[in-house]
Amino acid sequence: MKLAVLIKHVPETDNLKIDEKKGTVVRKGVESIINPLDLYAIEEALRIKEKHPPASITLVSMGPPDAEKSLREAIAMGCDSAILITGREFSGSDTYATSLVLSRVLKKTGNYDIILCGERATDGDTSQVGPAVASFLDLPVLTYVSRVELSDNEVEVDRIVEEGIETYSASLPVLLTISKAIGVPRLPTLKGKKRAKSASIKYVHFDKSLFSPGETGLEGSPTMVVKLFRPVVKRKSVILKPRNEKEIDESIERLIDFISERVEL
Amino acid sequence: MTGRYNRVTVETVRLLEEISGRSNVIFDDREKLEAYSHDEVAEKAYHAMPEVVVKPKSAEEIAKIMKLANERLIPVTPRGAGSGLSGGAIPQYGGIVVSLEKMNRILDIDLENLMVTVEPGVVTNHINEVLKDKGLMFAGYPMSLETCFIGGNVAENAGGGKAIKYGVTSRYITGLEVVSPTGEILRLGGKVRKDVTGYDLIHLFTGSEGTLGIFTKITLSLLPLPGARAVLLCLFKSTREAIAVVPKLLRVGRIIPTSIEYMDRLSVVTSCEYLNEELPYRESEAMLLIEIDGKNIEEVERDYETLGDICTRNGAFEVYVADNRTTIDRVWNVRKNIAEAFKVKTAHQSLEDIVIPTASIPDFMEKLEGLQKKYKLPIPCYGHAGDGNLHATPLKPDDWSPEKWEKNIDAILTELYRITAGFGGKISGEHGIGNKRKKYIGINLEPSVISVMKSIKKALDPNEILNPGKIFP
Repeated sequence: MKLAVLIKHVPETDNLKIDEKKGTVVRKGVESIINPLDLYAIEEALRIKEKHPPASITLVSMGPPDAEKSLREAIAMGCDSAILITGREFSGSDTYATSLVLSRVLKKTGNYDIILCGERATDGDTSQVGPAVASFLDLPVLTYVSRVELSDNEVEVDRIVEEGIETYSASLPVLLTISKAIGVPRLPTLKGKKRAKSASIKYVHFDKSLFSPGETGLEGSPTMVVKLFRPVVKRKSVILKPRNEKEIDESIERLIDFISERVEL
Repeated sequence: MTGRYNRVTVETVRLLEEISGRSNVIFDDREKLEAYSHDEVAEKAYHAMPEVVVKPKSAEEIAKIMKLANERLIPVTPRGAGSGLSGGAIPQYGGIVVSLEKMNRILDIDLENLMVTVEPGVVTNHINEVLKDKGLMFAGYPMSLETCFIGGNVAENAGGGKAIKYGVTSRYITGLEVVSPTGEILRLGGKVRKDVTGYDLIHLFTGSEGTLGIFTKITLSLLPLPGARAVLLCLFKSTREAIAVVPKLLRVGRIIPTSIEYMDRLSVVTSCEYLNEELPYRESEAMLLIEIDGKNIEEVERDYETLGDICTRNGAFEVYVADNRTTIDRVWNVRKNIAEAFKVKTAHQSLEDIVIPTASIPDFMEKLEGLQKKYKLPIPCYGHAGDGNLHATPLKPDDWSPEKWEKNIDAILTELYRITAGFGGKISGEHGIGNKRKKYIGINLEPSVISVMKSIKKALDPNEILNPGKIFP
């Protein structure tokens, strides 16, 4: 069984600084971690590996060289190997270009039976990359997965949808995006940390046999961020301070008006 | 004793309003006053309603309030954030509560002397938020740091999770401005790191539980902020194995961890259920949470490998590592939420704070086991293994009526404290005596010692109006 997990190196959310002029997230001086929602994909991959040996898990990430830290963290949790796609040709890629790059690398590096992703990244928040990779690879895709049951050449999964839970089965290979409902991700162990320290990470740089010029980075991105800003929340509160019976009645009326303007009573 | 004091009259309220302004006085509003009638001790027996609450903004206002209270013989109880765990801020005999919530300014950050001067109502964590960008920190670390006030930390001489490396609050106080019970403003110490000029009053006031004075300015010495930190979570099959590792970490590892926290299985299970967290606790009777800090991640990594290996060689069957803030918070959350998790489980419990010589912890735990069997109730235990400060928490079993609990808890606590004293330990390490433990203080202190303490109190507070009904039975 060959498993791949796509992970993203993202800034810790309480440190998030944005460059409003450039429309990008400032990464300098900010500690970055594995996208917290990718931990669930890693956890599910590890559970499949434990239940269906022999199996191996390859991590794939596109990001700055620093993303190596996140890959090593995932290896410390129990994953086997890692690929880091890095280089300035890739910088500024939108979800389309990112998915294209990831899918080409996945295609080249192995025939994976299951590709797992988090349901979205906490920085971009689009949920697009997983399904788009599936589309480039022409694979079935099941999103927001909360349970995975593997048999022979098939998976049965539960998906969390607004109305409840849907159950699907799909043939392998398949791409799954995993929801938080799958369970609590394990912590990396000391043994894992030591192994991860010496694990070799495979670097993939821009390579003309894989990509045509203009396919990646800003150039290969059909969408662009027009504006990035922090929304300002304005709260206009009015405090009613009635001083006598008459004013109490008036205040109650104002309160009723206020509520009925906003809620259907 | 109640008879000694006079009630707060409408006229007194008017005078208080003159001192601190009408909007800073709460009177005749049960709902608002109720918030000042308790701290984090859940038991109703340790709650009491204030007659009036005043929120002064300066030392001068507090001095006037104290003078007025002396003239009229009205008790005054100072209050910080109300996050205390010994009923220290409870107005035992009603009267005036002086809430320091509006004195919440950071007055001075002195980068040359590495000192910060703050008012008592500043939230402890806020000091570090402000200092972070300057590469400095205040090393006090009570578990409630996101809500508690620095003034309360000084009043209780708060300890917390970093005491093994950084000591407790008192280590960092170099200057204090205190309003005495008679309304004098005392300025003690300053920005000096050595000072033997006269009696060390700063350390008399520190930990005085609001009975000797009200702090209005606090000068704290600062340390460089470590550039990196990591946490190990070590799982052991027995408490004895877990505790036996603690001295080895220092002796063999030659590293002083920032924290060495102990959690027994029931504490971990309860906190994990409360948080929806999953740790592989099923085979583990005891866990140690070990934090290391250092200049950079390379240094920290070297240290945690050394300490983790010592744990593994000495019985830890698994060691987890958290070295980024998100994962570190995740692990610490389990430890920090234990008290809250037990509170959600039952309203009847007694969060204790005993402290014993660290080497006695395993023998103490055996005795605690015996106590649980004798009374047939659970007493989960967690806390600061690095300094022997353990939060043993007797819990009311579901099949006990509240009456049965009331009837038994006194005997249970007495026995627990006697066991503690038997190991040379103390009934409170960091939460204080307050009104909750005062009747047990004799288990620890000889009459001659209590008598000296009472003379000090009497000398400073002849009318016994500042926070009466605390510490002494």
